[in-house]
Amino acid sequence: MRASTRTVPSERVAVALRVLGVASLVGVVATVWLGLFVTPPDEFMGNLVRLLYVHPPMAWVAFLAYGVASLASLLYLWPRTRSERFDRLAGASGEVGVVFTGLTLVSGSIWGRPTWGVWWVWDPLLTTTALLFVLYLGYLALRRVPGEFHVRARRSAIGALIAFIDVPIVYLSVEWWRSLHQAPTVLNPTTHKTYVHGSMAWTLLLGFVSFTLVYTWLVAHRYRLAELQDAQDTEGLEIALAERRAEAVGR
Amino acid sequence: MLRDAVLVAGKDLRIEIRSRVGLNQIGPFALAVLLLFGLALGPDRRVLAPASAGLFWVAVLLSTILGVQRSYAIESVDGARDGLRLSGLDPAGIFLGKAGAVVVQLLVLETALAVGVALLYGARLSGALVLIGTCVLGTFGLAAVGTLYGVVASGLRIRETLLPLLFLPVVSPVLLAATKAWDEALAGTPGRAGGWLDVLAVFAVLYVATGIVAFGPLLEDG
Amino acid sequence: MNGYVEAGYIMVLGTLSSYGVALVAREHAARRRVGTAAVEESIATSADAPVTDLTSPAPRDTPVVMPGELEQDAPGRAP
Repeated sequence: MRASTRTVPSERVAVALRVLGVASLVGVVATVWLGLFVTPPDEFMGNLVRLLYVHPPMAWVAFLAYGVASLASLLYLWPRTRSERFDRLAGASGEVGVVFTGLTLVSGSIWGRPTWGVWWVWDPLLTTTALLFVLYLGYLALRRVPGEFHVRARRSAIGALIAFIDVPIVYLSVEWWRSLHQAPTVLNPTTHKTYVHGSMAWTLLLGFVSFTLVYTWLVAHRYRLAELQDAQDTEGLEIALAERRAEAVGR
Repeated sequence: MLRDAVLVAGKDLRIEIRSRVGLNQIGPFALAVLLLFGLALGPDRRVLAPASAGLFWVAVLLSTILGVQRSYAIESVDGARDGLRLSGLDPAGIFLGKAGAVVVQLLVLETALAVGVALLYGARLSGALVLIGTCVLGTFGLAAVGTLYGVVASGLRIRETLLPLLFLPVVSPVLLAATKAWDEALAGTPGRAGGWLDVLAVFAVLYVATGIVAFGPLLEDG
Repeated sequence: MNGYVEAGYIMVLGTLSSYGVALVAREHAARRRVGTAAVEESIATSADAPVTDLTSPAPRDTPVVMPGELEQDAPGRAP
């Protein structure tokens, strides 16, 4: 019976989620306000530096999300920690990760166009991120394949780990392939220190924090949705069974 | 485990030799891909010859998908898959056997493709040792990932579309490393291919190991 | 600014908010669908209602009604 692990969320969870939602909303609004209006334009990049308050946080959240998804998949496969929760968490985190990877690519591309003059360069980080995007789109496609709960969960978990093993190999080989790698400007402390304005660093930090909050909020909601969908599936089955039984008796 | 692997590989290869699907369909498919690349890039050998390593490996990748699908298609008829599952063979052995059979077929195909690349694109095959080493290591990686994802997809109704989506991004390092190693060999500097061969070896070892561990549960589920 | 910055912010914020809104909307829809039946079921399981023993005669000569269908077609089902 799945009934015990199910829905009708306790008040506390609902309240916590709402607080989290408000906090992330406030954080994002503050980041945008600081990023667009308060911080000065950069000496070299001009206003384009404002994109860097959102782009690195997107990338960070994407990698965090895949890390969480892989860890949850591993915990699901480990017999002692096997639980439906980890499967749902992996699925939720994977999906949110794909959204953030897409945004990483888009925001990076929008920054790259005026900076490099092209929408795309075959830089190792970019290429790896793009491959990660398709890799995890494949994972989501695999998750969407219907099947009995534990079969699907195990299949997806193994799929996630196969994809995860690939990430370092992809990154290293791509980096080797194109050694013209430009260090991501913001993360490079030597170029950074010289011209960064105090408010810029704080804005970036706030960006990291608030988009991480957004991530947790989204994952929590995606998780609850998965829970409800699973409940609905079992319920559908139970109702159908009950109807059959009732028919048999009524005859 | 290895005995079971040889059994399964022998079975798969015997079926292939008798049915000739590989010979009659996958081989010609790869040839068609080579011809299409020629059309797409134009008749200029100065364009084609430098690209031949990459084109060769893309053709191999695409053929691997067909090979893996074929490898599981022979299990889907007459409940052969259930037979395999209930046979008492070690799942790791089944994995190695099926992957091994795919490796053998791919190596045959690659030989033919190499000749095709030399003839059609004017690539000069030099550095034979590196070329062969790349093929062997790369093919092991491809077959391992293919066989692993093949069993994931094989029980499903949407396998034809799911397998390429799962397979191709994962094997992108193989495409990259194998192409680079071939580039070096074809350019007459096979000594510089060493690092790329390492990448291929690491990839192959990692995914063969993953397959040995994960194949059992996946086969059960299907 | 220069268009790129605005485009970047709009893309990021627009995508995230529409994804978030879509999630919440789907969650509500799913809750509505599950809700009624879930409540019925929890009542049924919390009380001592048995998982409908088909072999024993039905009490009070009503037909066997499973908790899930109480709401949907109880009125139409005259004995």
